[in-house]
Amino acid sequence: MTQQIVLAICSFALALLGTLLLSALSLVVARSGSCSRSFRFETEARALTLLKGWLSPKQRACYERFRYFDVTGSDTGTRYRIHHGTQTNIEELSSTGHHVCKWCFVPDGDLVAGDVMLAQKIALETNERGALSVAHRSFVSNGPRRF
Amino acid sequence: MATQIVMDRTGDTRHTFDVQDRAEVEKAERRFRDLTGAGFTAAVRSGPGEQRVIRSFDPTAEETLFYPRLVGG
Repeated sequence: MTQQIVLAICSFALALLGTLLLSALSLVVARSGSCSRSFRFETEARALTLLKGWLSPKQRACYERFRYFDVTGSDTGTRYRIHHGTQTNIEELSSTGHHVCKWCFVPDGDLVAGDVMLAQKIALETNERGALSVAHRSFVSNGPRRF
Repeated sequence: MATQIVMDRTGDTRHTFDVQDRAEVEKAERRFRDLTGAGFTAAVRSGPGEQRVIRSFDPTAEETLFYPRLVGG
C-alpha cells in the first residue's frame, strides 16, 4: 500500500516536471521566433532606407506610392520597372509602356528586398547587358497592361 | 570620414574610415580589393539617383556600395 502511494506521488511529480519543462521550452521557442521576426523586420527596414537614399527623387516618390520604380537601361535605353520583391520582379516595358516580359536576376546570397532592388537598379543603369546576360527571362503574360 | 557599405544578410555592414589616416585608407583599399576580387560590384553615387561602377579604389568617394555577384533568379 505504501509502495503504491510512493509510486503515485512519484508519477505525479514526474508529470508536473514534464509539464513545467514543456512550458519553458515553448516559451523559449516563442521568444526565439519573435527575435527572428524582429531581426528580419530591422534588416528589411535598413535595406529600404539604403535603397531610398540611392533612388532619384522621382524614383523614390514612385516607389513610396506604388511600391515600384522605373529605370532606364544603360545600353539600350529600354525602360524597366522594378517592383518591390526579390524574384522575377523586373518588368521590361515597351516604348508605349506595355508589358514586354519579365526578368529575374538577383545579387547572390539571401538578401532582403531593399538590397535586391538597389543592386538591380545599379546593374541596369550601369551595365544593362551584363545584368541581363545572367538573368532569366519570362514571357508569362499579365494581360494587356499599359503604364 | 568615408564609408564602405557592404550588402549582406543583415541588410548591410558599414566600415567607416578617416581619409586622412594612411593606415585606415590602406585597410579600406585592401577591403575593396578583397570584395571586388570575390565578385562584389562597387558603386559610388555621382548625382541624385545616379551612380557609377568603379573598378579601382577611390579614397575620395564619400560612400562606396558593394553588392554581391549577380545570378539568374
